[in-house]
Amino acid sequence: MALVEIILEYVGLALLCLGAIASLIGAIGMHRLRNFYLRLHAATVITIWGGVYPIVGASILAIVMPELGVYRWFMAGAGFVTAFIILILAPAGSHALARAVHRSRTALVEPCIYDAIDSGMCVKKEVSTQ
Amino acid sequence: MIIDMVAPVIILVYTISIMLVFIRAVKGPTIGDQVLAIDTMTYAVVTLMIIVAIYLKEAILVVTAIPLALWIYALDIYIAKYLEKKSEIGG
Repeated sequence: MALVEIILEYVGLALLCLGAIASLIGAIGMHRLRNFYLRLHAATVITIWGGVYPIVGASILAIVMPELGVYRWFMAGAGFVTAFIILILAPAGSHALARAVHRSRTALVEPCIYDAIDSGMCVKKEVSTQ
Repeated sequence: MIIDMVAPVIILVYTISIMLVFIRAVKGPTIGDQVLAIDTMTYAVVTLMIIVAIYLKEAILVVTAIPLALWIYALDIYIAKYLEKKSEIGG
């Protein structure tokens, strides 16, 4: 096995393990964070760190896998295309969803300091003076 | 290769995280939380499917991941359009 193949294998394995850890962190964050607008951050951790990077790692790993034969190029190409599609579509989808939820006043901004778009959505926490 | 030992652990971790997000999809307080959780869960399923394809060495499993990633974007857009139209009509 050439040196390049060994390096590619370890890079792919590192990306896969990173994705698994990020996916677990994001899934815990979906429960710990308090309102809809904060849970968007956890969703981003799962889709980008736990979605795009492991697919790129799996594609790199498929290139150096001799058991697949000719189909390893097919698998790597399809994996890169899937990673690119997720990289484009996941932020666009969650942005559209967040805009619609804020405009339709479905979820309030619960621990809020200042909301410039719609100040009626802002639920301020009771702060005791002094 | 090392991947034959590491892949079952990664598949287990992804399954646990998908189940945790599924709990949020069931009990989410608003419709936005539920749609966001289903969206996130499907992207994790796409990743899990590609890792299973690597583990079983079946190249044809990757083809099924691309339509899944495309269709869940359509769900986001439909729900966003529905919510905005409902707020315009309802006042």
